[in-house]
Amino acid sequence: MNTTLKLSCATLTLLALAACAGASEADADSESIDADQAHPEFDEMTHEQLVAAAEEDGEVVVYSFTSRIATVAEEFRAQYPGIDIVEHDVSSTELIERLRSEHQAGADTADVAYVSDAPVVWNELLQQEVLLRYIPERVEDLLDEQYKEPLLTNRLSTKVLMYNEEAHPDGAPVDYLWELTEPQWQSQVVMVDPTGRGDYLDLMTEIVLRADEMETTYQEYFGEPIELDEGVENAGYQFIADLYANDAILVSSTDDVNEAVGAVGQQDPPIGFATYSDRRDNEDEGWALQVANDVAPGPGIIFPAMLGITAEAQNPAAARLLIDFMMGDDSSDGGPAYAPFYVPGDYPTRSDLATPEEALPLEEFNAWLLAPEESAAVRGEVNDFILTVE
Amino acid sequence: MRQTILRRLTRPVTVLTGLVLAVLGILVAAPLVSLVSATIPADGDFAGSSWPDVVTSPMAVNLFWTPLQNSLLVALGTAVLSTVLGAFLAWVVVLSDAPGRKIIAVLATIPFALPSFAIALAWSSVFRNGRVGGSPGILAGMGVEVPDWLAWGALPVTLALVAHYFSLSFIIIAAALAGLGGDLLAAAELTGASKLRVAASIAIPAVSPALLSSFLLAFAEGVSNFASPALLGLPVRFQTLSTRLYGSISTGNVERGYVLAILLVIVAAAVLYVGNRVTAGRSFAVITGKATRPRTVRLGAAAWPVFTLASGLVAATTILPLAVLALTTFSRRSHRFDDGFTLHYWVGESDPGVSHGMAGVFRNDRLMDATGTTIAYGLAVAAGAVVLGMLAAYAVRRSGSTAVIGSISFLSYVPFLIPGIALGAAFIALFGSASSPLPNLYGTFWILVLAGIAASVPYAFQTSKSALGQVSGELEEAAVVVGAGTGRRITRILLPLSARGVTGGAMLVFVTTVRDLSLVVLLVTPATPLLAVETFRYAEEGFTQHANAITLIIAAVSVTATLLARRLQGADQPWNR
Repeated sequence: MNTTLKLSCATLTLLALAACAGASEADADSESIDADQAHPEFDEMTHEQLVAAAEEDGEVVVYSFTSRIATVAEEFRAQYPGIDIVEHDVSSTELIERLRSEHQAGADTADVAYVSDAPVVWNELLQQEVLLRYIPERVEDLLDEQYKEPLLTNRLSTKVLMYNEEAHPDGAPVDYLWELTEPQWQSQVVMVDPTGRGDYLDLMTEIVLRADEMETTYQEYFGEPIELDEGVENAGYQFIADLYANDAILVSSTDDVNEAVGAVGQQDPPIGFATYSDRRDNEDEGWALQVANDVAPGPGIIFPAMLGITAEAQNPAAARLLIDFMMGDDSSDGGPAYAPFYVPGDYPTRSDLATPEEALPLEEFNAWLLAPEESAAVRGEVNDFILTVE
Repeated sequence: MRQTILRRLTRPVTVLTGLVLAVLGILVAAPLVSLVSATIPADGDFAGSSWPDVVTSPMAVNLFWTPLQNSLLVALGTAVLSTVLGAFLAWVVVLSDAPGRKIIAVLATIPFALPSFAIALAWSSVFRNGRVGGSPGILAGMGVEVPDWLAWGALPVTLALVAHYFSLSFIIIAAALAGLGGDLLAAAELTGASKLRVAASIAIPAVSPALLSSFLLAFAEGVSNFASPALLGLPVRFQTLSTRLYGSISTGNVERGYVLAILLVIVAAAVLYVGNRVTAGRSFAVITGKATRPRTVRLGAAAWPVFTLASGLVAATTILPLAVLALTTFSRRSHRFDDGFTLHYWVGESDPGVSHGMAGVFRNDRLMDATGTTIAYGLAVAAGAVVLGMLAAYAVRRSGSTAVIGSISFLSYVPFLIPGIALGAAFIALFGSASSPLPNLYGTFWILVLAGIAASVPYAFQTSKSALGQVSGELEEAAVVVGAGTGRRITRILLPLSARGVTGGAMLVFVTTVRDLSLVVLLVTPATPLLAVETFRYAEEGFTQHANAITLIIAAVSVTATLLARRLQGADQPWNR
């Protein structure tokens, strides 16, 4: 199934779920609230007026799940020297906990959140009205509906199987995910601990949601139907159990995975789940990362990176300006503001931006598009399951 | 009658006592109560609560029981090795004639001032092996095959803790040895007993209370330490109660985290309580009386080997790790010295090609901010803890009621039994949840300060008590006779006379506060950055050079403060006399 088809399926699913939501109360909660409902005055402002108001705020605090925010901040400072940007790079999981606790406590908090844990955002931050949606008018028509729900998505990011192309110049050393559970990959699969990091838990959850595909590919690879261990519900869970039993190595950050898998000069490098776009650092960091795009049933997940304004934002104008800024300027690559995100392996959501070169076009990229709602429903169970097989 | 009661109630000492009890109640008792009550289901049905998840469910083995075993294993190893090494060094410094004793004595006190993650980070720089792929540690880079058990898990976690806490054991045991009467040993030797026999039947029993308390302290620190297992355990899935607690709370399973915190408190408190009961019955008679300087043991030919061993030990735990950390901060790529050296990680401008554009630590506004916050936090905690400790000690000294004395002493002692990370969790339960009656302080500087004070109360109280104890009661009585009020007596007599000891105590509170990670790791938010937590973040994210550079900054601050404190408190350390 190609990605466009998958995208449409996911969209259809979302639409169907959204339709059901009209009837059920529980789901009505996860509707996003527009920030401009709280501050209607911004609705009318021109860009110049917004800049003036933002300069009056004088400061903007952003929590970001990616370290690239440092470069964004540099650029923002250069363009708006009158606004002091304070950027914090924290993991998405922790970021969400912080936002939630700070919201509960009524404590000072960020103005803008740049988050990736779509299922949790869907489940909790919107329900508790911690984050509000803001879609700059300028980009409204350039975005597919799915990139405006539940928050503004500024790009798609990934957690996919990566290998060392220096050691394997002829392509990925595996054709099936199931190979990772075989003796030759024992202690040779690296990933971040999914019980500590949301995006990796999302990846594991997606594998569980794709249990049917996992079952089929098991049969294809091993030539016999899968036999589930006692108490294991489906082939997705079985894969996770077997992966852990094969001594998968847990590390604390994606950069550790990159270094482990990608570092050049390795005889027998491990393979691991990481971010496709980190391939852009190959030269700077001395890595040889490449995506195992053709691994069956899929190399991993592609998921939205979303921007929202916090309900208690102290600097509402500057927050809007920063979000607007982070969506890039009118040039075909989004300009310097978008440059940190306009990298091969990330996929811009704005329809007027070309996909960055040197990476697979979205249509050819086989990763599964994360479905936030379905994922949200089972990720707790997946987390607990992983705790039992660790 | 009514007036008498009123007068009694408004007596300064009564007011003071009430105040002290109230503050201790809020800082010590209330967090524990809310921690426990947060895990009790409203409907009283424990089956649906987090308790079975943690203790009996299929997850329990990995969530609680194995981590419990690991915590106990690490704690036991830390306690035994710290005590043995601390005792050896104390013997060398106090009783032997080994060369270089003075410098060994100074160096042996430094590891305690270093953050415990300093050693863990240095360890990982040296011993990191191919298990995590990528760039190897220094040894593996030189072609040495480093086995997993040496690079990750129980052994390195324990050794990193020993390298930190033997220093505490040294201080405790050296003080006890120095108090040992020289005539006692001399008398024994006169009877013709061998040196071994003297050591076995006199010296060791006489310092056994010190050995035991060193063992217990190291055990308590080992069972609760967070940084070492967090940095050295994950690649082999080595989890302790602290790392599980942190993992649960930081990923939103808050209630499970609280349950783990309660269990951790129970384990730590049980061991310390039993241990203290055992020590309590011992007689300390040997350290009373007119002790003469213990006779020096002549090492003869053994002098240089002993010196080599002792100095090697202190060098390996102070100079070596700091040198390794310093060296790595200058290397362009983590742990590789063949790729060139750079000052970038200290003073470099943001460069998109290096560390995702993160500037060097001295150019990083957030780190400069964190440095300021850390020092302010340390000072506020030191001041708060010492004031509270002084007031509590004074209340105990003046109060006639055994109930009051008992309650204050008990509440001031309890935090000693609570591992830092569990205390942090308890503060979240009290000051960070919507259901708590107290103001919500989560995300503020003040929750850090209050937690810091609570954690430091046991030490501040003991220091203040002994500092006040040195001021004779007669002086105060004389002041009463000439009509000086309570406030005046405190400011004019007690404070000036105990100032030296108290200031030294405050500086040690400052040191233990700024270098600690476990208490604050759950409480810090991006609005209140602290250096220790920044280091941990950077280390987790793989920014080795930044993490190591910040660790060196913390080490510089806390070692300086320690050396100052030692000068204030102990220009005459017992072993220098």
